[in-house]
Amino acid sequence: MTCSTHLVEVIATRMPEEQTGVRVVRRHHLLVRFSHWLNVPILLGLILSGLSIYWASPVYQHKPDPLTGNVDRLADFSSWICVHVPGLHHHDNPPDWVYNHISLGPGMLAVALRLHWLCAYLFMLNGFVFVLGSAMSGGWRSLLPRRTDLRDALKMFFCYLGVPLAKLTHRSWLPPRFTTKYNALQRAAYFVVVIAGFVSVLTGWAIHKPMQLYWLTWIFGGYDNARIWHFWLMWLFILFVVPHVILVLADGWDTLRSMIVGWSARAGRSEGFNNEP
Amino acid sequence: MNREDEHSAPEANIKSPNESVSPQKPTSFFQERPPQMMGVAPQLLRRWTRRDLLLFGAGTIAAVAAGSALLPPTTLKRLGIIQENKDWPKKEWLLNKSLRIDDDVAEALYSKDRSVPTYTKSQITPLRNNYNGATPDPSYIPEWHLTLDGLASGLSVSLNIRNLLASFQVYEQITRLVCVEGWSAISGWAGLRFDDLLRVYPPMSQAKWVRLESSVNLGPWGNPDPYYVSLDLSTARHQQTLLATHLNGKPLTVEHGAPLRLIAPVKLGLKNIKAITRITYTKDEPEDYWAKRGYSRYDGI
Repeated sequence: MTCSTHLVEVIATRMPEEQTGVRVVRRHHLLVRFSHWLNVPILLGLILSGLSIYWASPVYQHKPDPLTGNVDRLADFSSWICVHVPGLHHHDNPPDWVYNHISLGPGMLAVALRLHWLCAYLFMLNGFVFVLGSAMSGGWRSLLPRRTDLRDALKMFFCYLGVPLAKLTHRSWLPPRFTTKYNALQRAAYFVVVIAGFVSVLTGWAIHKPMQLYWLTWIFGGYDNARIWHFWLMWLFILFVVPHVILVLADGWDTLRSMIVGWSARAGRSEGFNNEP
Repeated sequence: MNREDEHSAPEANIKSPNESVSPQKPTSFFQERPPQMMGVAPQLLRRWTRRDLLLFGAGTIAAVAAGSALLPPTTLKRLGIIQENKDWPKKEWLLNKSLRIDDDVAEALYSKDRSVPTYTKSQITPLRNNYNGATPDPSYIPEWHLTLDGLASGLSVSLNIRNLLASFQVYEQITRLVCVEGWSAISGWAGLRFDDLLRVYPPMSQAKWVRLESSVNLGPWGNPDPYYVSLDLSTARHQQTLLATHLNGKPLTVEHGAPLRLIAPVKLGLKNIKAITRITYTKDEPEDYWAKRGYSRYDGI
């Protein structure tokens, strides 16, 4: 039917002895891989436009500064960065440094709102694609928390902490054994980030339609609290992405490749299977 | 979790000769299934890898190109990606499309019969005057009158504030006004229902829209900067859409749109036009001050 099945037949007839040459393990469904990578530009667009929207009316405010009239705590933080980070002392407009670097810029509300709606609808569509892929492959089961996860996740966390030291002292450092697709810490992180995706969509609607969907706004403690939820969920994504990228790169090419091609050559993690040809 | 004694179960659930499934039977619907192994020819595996890397690489390039094309020119200029503002002509299309989809969603969510939440007097919060233009001289108030156009009678009607307050019932409501910027305020409003005005002075039969004008707006330097909004008739007929004359029990001040302003809590604050001087019913969608400046046209919340 597809090009790849056709190829399988062709190659199977040409060299039957090589057909079972390499044993690989299926890791990620095509739709899961697709939605995983699409999240990168979509989340980037949501964060950039979201902070521009935040600029228009910051959630965290204080009384107007007597000198500048500034009320925005993020602008204070921005000035702090410019004072304390070397190389930024001569920045033109310290209170806008954050907005100039991790948003579309200050005073861009109309543009930011349009980009935010575009990315938000794409994010919801992408979430649907992910749910579809997880349901079709049954991969969602690997993300569910287990009773032993808390203890195992802590073990894994300390194992990660010890890796740099072990590398420096040239000691072997074996991670705790696990027979599941993900270790407990991965599972917890992926589970939380999927839930956070759903909740950020819900809080987004609670802010966007506080009159027609007033019950949803009420669930999140009212309009202003829904904005606070939405703001901190953004930070949760950012705090997830940083160790996520570091750990994938540290884990090696096979792990990164598996999110592109869908399979992993590391079949040894499963029980009772010999990876040797 | 995995029970040792099940290792010897017959391999009955093998899907194809190429795919072997570990023999343990899952004990529950939620239990993780054993990994699926595949035997693949090395050549085929290389081909798959090459194909997928090329496809995902092409996707990345496309996403970066599309993403940076969608960013506003000032942002791109600041990042040093472009030197001068050269707008890609079709660039606005996708962003406008998503804005219209969002407007359609807002319109679908809207129901004329659904009331917005109301609050108690103790929940009232300060309301700021978010207008950055100059406040007009209150001398216009004694001369003020409201003109109605596009009526079924074909006539133009002029009403003063005394006419309005004498001939219509006054309703009170404590509702939240939500600004597009993200702040909101709970205030007590009193005035006549827009719906009542529509019943006494019915619009022409084909009318679907209302154009509201305020001619007393001034720009930051006192220059004329006329404000006007579009409103769909369905929202005008909502029971909580008021032509308000009072804020928190007192007549409206000039800052808040004396003597008559729109209070449509199902719309963003920018549709809640102050100091209305003219109401025109139209068949086609009228222009809107903020829609011309890149904001949504419908603004239903």
